[in-house]
Amino acid sequence: MSNSPILAESLSKTYGGKVKAVEAVSFEVTHGESFGFLGPNGAGKTTTVSMLSAGLRPTQGRAVIDGLDVSQHAEEVKRRIGVIFQESTADGDLTGRENLEVAAGCYGIGAGEARSRADELIELMQLTDSAHRQAKTYSGGMRRRLELAVGLVHRPKILFLDEPTLGLDPQGRAGFWTFIDKLRRETGLTVFVTTHYLDEADQMCDRIAIIDHGKIVATGTPNELKDRLGGDVVNLRTADGAADVSELVRGLPGVVQVQRQDGTYRVKVQSGERFVPVAVEACSKAGAGVVGVTVKRPSLDEVFLEFTGREFREDEGPTATDRAVMMQRVQGAFRGGRR
Amino acid sequence: MFRELVSLTRREVLKLGRNPAAIFTGLLLPVLYLVLFGNGFSINPSNFLQNPTPAAIQAFNVAYFRGAPNYYSYFAVGMVGFTAVTATLFIGANVIFDKLFGIFKRVRGTPAPAASIFGARLIAGTLQPILLSFFVIALALLFFHVPGLHGLDVTASVGFVQVAEIAAAIVLLSGMFATLFLTFGILIDTPQTYFATINLVNLPILLTSDALYPWGSMPDWLRTVSSYNPVSLAVNTMRECLFGSAAYPYPPAVYLGALAVWTAAFVILAIVLVRRALGPVA
Repeated sequence: MSNSPILAESLSKTYGGKVKAVEAVSFEVTHGESFGFLGPNGAGKTTTVSMLSAGLRPTQGRAVIDGLDVSQHAEEVKRRIGVIFQESTADGDLTGRENLEVAAGCYGIGAGEARSRADELIELMQLTDSAHRQAKTYSGGMRRRLELAVGLVHRPKILFLDEPTLGLDPQGRAGFWTFIDKLRRETGLTVFVTTHYLDEADQMCDRIAIIDHGKIVATGTPNELKDRLGGDVVNLRTADGAADVSELVRGLPGVVQVQRQDGTYRVKVQSGERFVPVAVEACSKAGAGVVGVTVKRPSLDEVFLEFTGREFREDEGPTATDRAVMMQRVQGAFRGGRR
Repeated sequence: MFRELVSLTRREVLKLGRNPAAIFTGLLLPVLYLVLFGNGFSINPSNFLQNPTPAAIQAFNVAYFRGAPNYYSYFAVGMVGFTAVTATLFIGANVIFDKLFGIFKRVRGTPAPAASIFGARLIAGTLQPILLSFFVIALALLFFHVPGLHGLDVTASVGFVQVAEIAAAIVLLSGMFATLFLTFGILIDTPQTYFATINLVNLPILLTSDALYPWGSMPDWLRTVSSYNPVSLAVNTMRECLFGSAAYPYPPAVYLGALAVWTAAFVILAIVLVRRALGPVA
């Protein structure tokens, strides 16, 4: 039996015998590591966390936590892990302190020890001034910190964070990750985090697995994954109605791959700086004048696109820009209606 | 298991204490029934009898009100049973709301045993109907001394044994329905389905009991059904203790025993269903 904190072996979950939420997922997380599970909504991240944390029985495969088979030792596994769920699970009617004491009691911790751990976590999470207030009066960031404190009250060795910063503003997200980072440094905690914030995964995770449609499509450190792209990504936009120059671009020096979508070419090249002037000149000579160029160092966005064949945000809900445009249209319609 | 049970029970009690509106409405319902319904419906045997001699009145009371001196006294005890049942209705709804708010997920993510999760809610959820039931008895006894109001007129000699039997009937009846509705709350995920289900169960049970109808006005078939009804068993245990044994073929302990069998059956059923429901999701 593996002694890794987290081991998934061909873990699968099928709902109703038809819907495959997770398909033969395998990975291993080492002690003290921060492992990111990256994927869009509905990719199977939460299902995987539920199977690893004894909340959901796998259809096939095996989950092992700290050397214990999850399906056989669910109770012991729950003692060794802490789980921070996507949604708020704190009881709004109870104060922050009461939430912590009740949670400690659920792990069989006596009242005196529960009070002392609550004190410790309240201070650590900077909730001292609000500990006596009902949790329903907390801001989003405070609630997240309380969630984290509740997840840590029994001093777990492994922490599962399922979309922990969902709905937080950038300041709240940064603050949350500061706490996690501090905890890892001080306690050697192993962290398994699911997120669809690529920047968070890039900054906070030692290794990342990209999951899409229930399958892991790539695993590695953020830098390893970016390196696999083979260099920079250049987006060339040609004038409307210009001829297809895919073959021409493909033949230019240093070009690794070319993808065309409408009038835009996504070109993977060894060096963007050297490629751009050559490409602009070659396209102009071919009668397809270049009207826009961007050069990007690879990001996890690019990594995701590389391994799944589509933009990360395609599966997401409307973006902030989309919402703003929709809002403008709605307001416009109302103004129009009043005239 | 004990620490988990204590901790989760504390949570339930804290939540109850922070919801004064629920306590107020819980008290209001029996008060309205006792003051308005009971007084409005009060039936005096002398109005029905051509020759209302004490013997004729006594015979009428035995036949119609199972030994109670008037309808109000009969009804007031029925209200204790009615309250013990209706005050447990929300116990399962609270579980559903905790599921919707993610609180239940948090508790299930801990190693707290299913027995502690269920037991804590059962203890706290039974406490309220038990206290309300005693409140109803106390209020009905008080009304007896208020001029212009009907009240509970106790005609038997009530000692420690009778008080213990009354308390046991209230605890068993509240516990049985709290177990039933709590099980529904754990098995059902939406408030709409929950309330539809409890209405399907609650109304037939209450309406086939003799908690509110005069026994003498019920058809034979309904009396037969009512004899096995847990609400009737609890209410008749209390009535026999308060009004004497003239209308009852068995002593209160027999009705209490039958009620205990009902409660045990529901607890066993709940253990089977809840254990499965609180394990990892298949």
